[in-house]
Amino acid sequence: MSDDLTIILTAGLLGTACGLLGPFLVLRRQVLLSDAVAHAVLPGIVLVYILFGSRASLPVILGAGLFAVICVIGIEQIRATGLVKADAATGLVFPTLFALGVIGVTTFASGVHLDLDSTIYGDIAFTPFRTWELFGTEMARSLPLLAAVTVGNMAMLVLLWKELKASTFDPVFSKVNGISPELVSRILLIAVAVTAVTAFESVGAILVVTMLIVPAATAHLLTVRLLPLVAVSVIVGWISAVGGYGSAVALDASIAGAMGLVATICFSLAFLLSPRYGIITRAVRHQRKISPVLSPGLQPVSRAGDASGSEDVSG
Amino acid sequence: MDRLIELIPLSYTDSVVLIGAVILGVAAGVLGAFAVLRQRSLVGDALSHAALPGVCVAFIATGAKDAVTLAVGAAVVGVIAAGLILVIERTGRIRPDAAIGVVLTGFFSLGIVMLTFLGNFNNSSQAGLDTYLFGQAAGLLVSDLTVMGLLCAASLGLVAVAFRPLKVALFDLSFAGSVGLPVRLLELAMTAMLVIAIVIGVRTVGAILMVAMLIVPTVTARQLTSRLSTLLVVAGIAGAVVGSAGSLISTGAGIPTGPVIVLVGFVVAMSAILLAPGRGVVWKAHRVTSERRRALNEGVLIDLETALQSGPPPTVGQLASLSGRPPAGLRRALRNLDRAGVLRRDGDRIALSATGTAAVQTLLDRRELWSAWLENGWRIELPDAGEPDPRDLRASLGDDLTDELLAFSRGGPGE
Amino acid sequence: MSDAALDRLGGVGAAAPALEIRRLTASYSSSPALWDVDALIPSGTLAAIVGPNGAGKSTLLKAAVGLIQPDAGHVLIEGRPAREALDRVAYVPQRDEVDWDFPVTVREVVEMGRYRSAGWISRLRKADHLHVEQALAKVRMTSFAGRQIGELSGGQRQRVFIARALAQDAPVMMLDEPFSGVDVRTEASLLGLLSEIRRTGRTVIVVHHDIGTVRSHFDWALLLNVRTIACGPVQESLSPEALRRAYGGLAGEEGNGEVVWIG
Repeated sequence: MSDDLTIILTAGLLGTACGLLGPFLVLRRQVLLSDAVAHAVLPGIVLVYILFGSRASLPVILGAGLFAVICVIGIEQIRATGLVKADAATGLVFPTLFALGVIGVTTFASGVHLDLDSTIYGDIAFTPFRTWELFGTEMARSLPLLAAVTVGNMAMLVLLWKELKASTFDPVFSKVNGISPELVSRILLIAVAVTAVTAFESVGAILVVTMLIVPAATAHLLTVRLLPLVAVSVIVGWISAVGGYGSAVALDASIAGAMGLVATICFSLAFLLSPRYGIITRAVRHQRKISPVLSPGLQPVSRAGDASGSEDVSG
Repeated sequence: MDRLIELIPLSYTDSVVLIGAVILGVAAGVLGAFAVLRQRSLVGDALSHAALPGVCVAFIATGAKDAVTLAVGAAVVGVIAAGLILVIERTGRIRPDAAIGVVLTGFFSLGIVMLTFLGNFNNSSQAGLDTYLFGQAAGLLVSDLTVMGLLCAASLGLVAVAFRPLKVALFDLSFAGSVGLPVRLLELAMTAMLVIAIVIGVRTVGAILMVAMLIVPTVTARQLTSRLSTLLVVAGIAGAVVGSAGSLISTGAGIPTGPVIVLVGFVVAMSAILLAPGRGVVWKAHRVTSERRRALNEGVLIDLETALQSGPPPTVGQLASLSGRPPAGLRRALRNLDRAGVLRRDGDRIALSATGTAAVQTLLDRRELWSAWLENGWRIELPDAGEPDPRDLRASLGDDLTDELLAFSRGGPGE
Repeated sequence: MSDAALDRLGGVGAAAPALEIRRLTASYSSSPALWDVDALIPSGTLAAIVGPNGAGKSTLLKAAVGLIQPDAGHVLIEGRPAREALDRVAYVPQRDEVDWDFPVTVREVVEMGRYRSAGWISRLRKADHLHVEQALAKVRMTSFAGRQIGELSGGQRQRVFIARALAQDAPVMMLDEPFSGVDVRTEASLLGLLSEIRRTGRTVIVVHHDIGTVRSHFDWALLLNVRTIACGPVQESLSPEALRRAYGGLAGEEGNGEVVWIG
C-alpha cells in the first residue's frame, strides 16, 4: 500500500469515526465538551505510561477513557452546584486535567517518546512507518486501529440509535421513560474519548477535535434529517482527508492542519451557500432584509412557546 | 522595571516570571470577568487558539519576532475570530458552542499550517512561535513585561472609565441598546478586553491552558461577592495570587509554570465553590439536609397529633400505617423527636410530652398563619417589597401585621 | 386499539385511584413549592391541576413522575409507589424543554412513545409501528407524519406530543401546561381530543390555569396553592369559596356571585 494511500485512508477512517459522533455532539450542544474530553485524556495516557511503562493501545485507551469520564463527571458536578455556569465549568476542568498531563510528561516521562507536540499536532506523515504485521501483510497500524474504532462507533450508533435520538430531542421525556440522558451522554463521550485517544498517536488531538466538530456543523447547515446529517458529516470528513492531503503536499505544510483547513473551508461554503440556511442564499431569497437576521440575540426559531403557526425553521 | 526586579529576593529569571505571572493574573482576572459573566468564557478558548495564526501572520508580514509585533498580530486575528463567532452564531442555524468550536479548530488548523510552512524555511523561528501553544514563562524578557504591563494598565483604565456602560451591557444588552448606549461598541470593547487578556497571558501559560486563567478568578470572586465592582477587584487579586503562587511553586520545584498556575487556580476556585460562606456547596448541602430533616420531623409530629386527636396513643406501627410514611423515615424522625424531648413513651405507645404539646401548638399556629397568608396575604399592606419567610411569618411580619392577617382570615369574608 | 383493550389497561372502575399523593412537601431553595399536599385523582377522569402562578402545579407533576426529589411524602400511581409504576404513566413535559430544531420527523417523535416498552437497544416491532400509526390517526396528524417537528405550529406540536403519549399505551396521561402558547381554537380542539382520550378509559391529568375551561370540560379538579385547597369533582372543588382561598385578591366577584378571573 502506498504511503499516500495509507495517510488518506487513516484520515478518512478518522473522518468516518468522528463524523458518526459529531452530529450528536452538535445537536446536544456538547461540541465544546468533546474538545474538553479530547484534551482531558492526556493525564490518562501519561498515567498509564508512568505506571506500566506502556504505550500499548489497550491500557492507554482505558486510562484515557477513565479521565474522559472524570472530565465529564467533574464538569457535570461543578455545574450542578448552580454556582458556576456550564461554559466556565468546562473551562475550569479540562485545562486542569491537561495541565496535570503536561506536568506528568515533563517530570516523569521526559526523554521518552511521549512528545507533547505530536499529541496535539500529530504526525500523520509518519503513520505509514508505524506498522503491524497483520494477516501476513505489513500494514500501518493506524488503519486497523481506526477501523476498529469506526466499527465500534457504528455499532454504538446502530444499537443506541433510538436512545440517542430520544434523549437528545427530549431529555425530560426520555428520563421519565427509562432512558437516562446522563447515561447516554456518558456513553457518547466515552466513544469520543476512545476515538480521540486512538487517533492521537497518528493524527493528533487537534485533527480529532476538528473532525468531530466541523464536518458535523457543516452537515447541520445542509440537512434537517438525522440520517442524512450523519452521512453528510462522514462525507465532509472524507473530503477533508483527501483535499487536505493534496493541499498539504502542495504547500509542504502540516497534513493535519491542512485537513482541518479544508474542513473549515467546507463549513464556510455551506455557511454561505447552503440551499436552505446559507447567508448568501438567504440574502438573495429575500433581498431586502438581511439586517433582521443579523440583529442581536439568538433568533427565536428553536425556542418553543411562540404563538402557534408562527414557527418557520427557515426564518 | 529593572528596579522592581531587583526588589524581589529571587533570581533574575524567577523574578521576571513572577512579575509576568502577576500581570497575567490581574489582566486575566479583571478582563476575563467580562466573558465569564456573559457565559462566553469558552470564546476565550477559541481566541487563545487563534493567537497562533495571529503570531504567524505577524511574523510573515514583518519578519520580526519581538513581543509587540507578535502581540499586535495575535490581537488583530483574535478580534477577527471573535467577530466570526458572532456572525456564525447570529445567523441562526449554528449554535454558539458549535460556532466557537468551528472557529477554534479552523484558526488553529490555519496556525499549524502556517507554522509548518514557516518551519520549512527557518526552523528556529518555528521553535520560537511554538511556545504559544504550551507557554514558556522562562522565555519572558523584561521588554515583554513592559509591554504586558502597559497593555494591562491601559485595559484596566478602560474598564475604570467605561465601568457604567460596561456594567449595563454586561447585564442586559437589549436594555443598554434601548437607553441609547453604543451596544456594538461595548460588545467590541468587551471582546477587545478578552483579546488583550489573552495576548498578555498566552506566552506564559499557552493557548490551551489560557482559558482556565480567564475563568478561575471570576468564578472565585463570584462566590465571595455579589457586586460587580468588588468582583472585578477580587478577581484581579485572585488572579495575582494564583499567578504568583503558581510561578513560585513552579520555579521552586522546577516544573513548567503554565500548568502549575492552572492547577493552583483550580484548587482556589474549587475551594471557593465548596466553602464560600452562605453560598458554597458545603453550606448548601447542610441546609438541604436540615431542611429535609425538619420537614420530616414536623410532618411526623403533625401525624402524631392527628392520631392523638382521634384515639389513644399509637404504636410506631400504627403511626406508620396511619401516616403512610416509609417506616425507616418514620423511625428516624421519632429518634430525632425523642432527642428533642417532645415525645413521651408509654410502653410501645407514643404520646406528646409537655414540650411536645407546646411544639405542636407552635407548629399548628404557624401553619394556620401561612394558610391565612396564602388566602388573605394580598390584603396586607407590607412596608416594602420583601417577601416574608412562609415558615415563620410572625417573625418576619411582626406582631401587628400578623394579628391583622389573622383577623382577616378568622373574621373576614374568607371563612 | 379497541376501547375494550384500553379498558383492560385500567379504565373506570379500576380499584386504585390513578394518582394518590400523600403529604408531599417539596421546596426550591428556601421557600416551599408544595407543602403537605394530599390529593386523590380517581381512575378514568379528566382531571385538572389548577392554581395561581407559583402554586406548585408543575412541581407536583414532576414529583409524581420522579423528575424531582421531594423533601417528604410520597406518590402512588394506581396504588403502587410512583417509582415502580412509571410504565403506567405517559408524561407530556412543557414544550419549552424540547429542542424543536432537532432533525426528527413527526412519526419518529411518536415512535419514542414505544421506546420504554421496547427497551434499550432493541428495535421497534410491527406492533409498535401499528400503535404509532393509530396514535397519529387519533390526533389527526397522519398526513404530517413525514414533517420535521420544527416545521409545525404550536398546536400541531402539542398534538404530536399527545400522540406520543397515546403511543405509550399507559392508563394515566399527565400533561404539563399543554395549552400554553396556543390559540383559542387550537385549545378547544385539543380539549376535545383529551376528552376523547378520557372516553377510552384513560385518566388524563392536565396542569392548567384557565378555570373557565376546567369548569366546562373537566370532571375532577385539584385546586392547589402550595397546599391543597380542594380536591374533588369540579362542581365541589371549584366552589367560589375555594377559589377565593386559592387566588386571593385576584378573584373578583360579579353581581351574580360568580367568580371572575383577572389573573
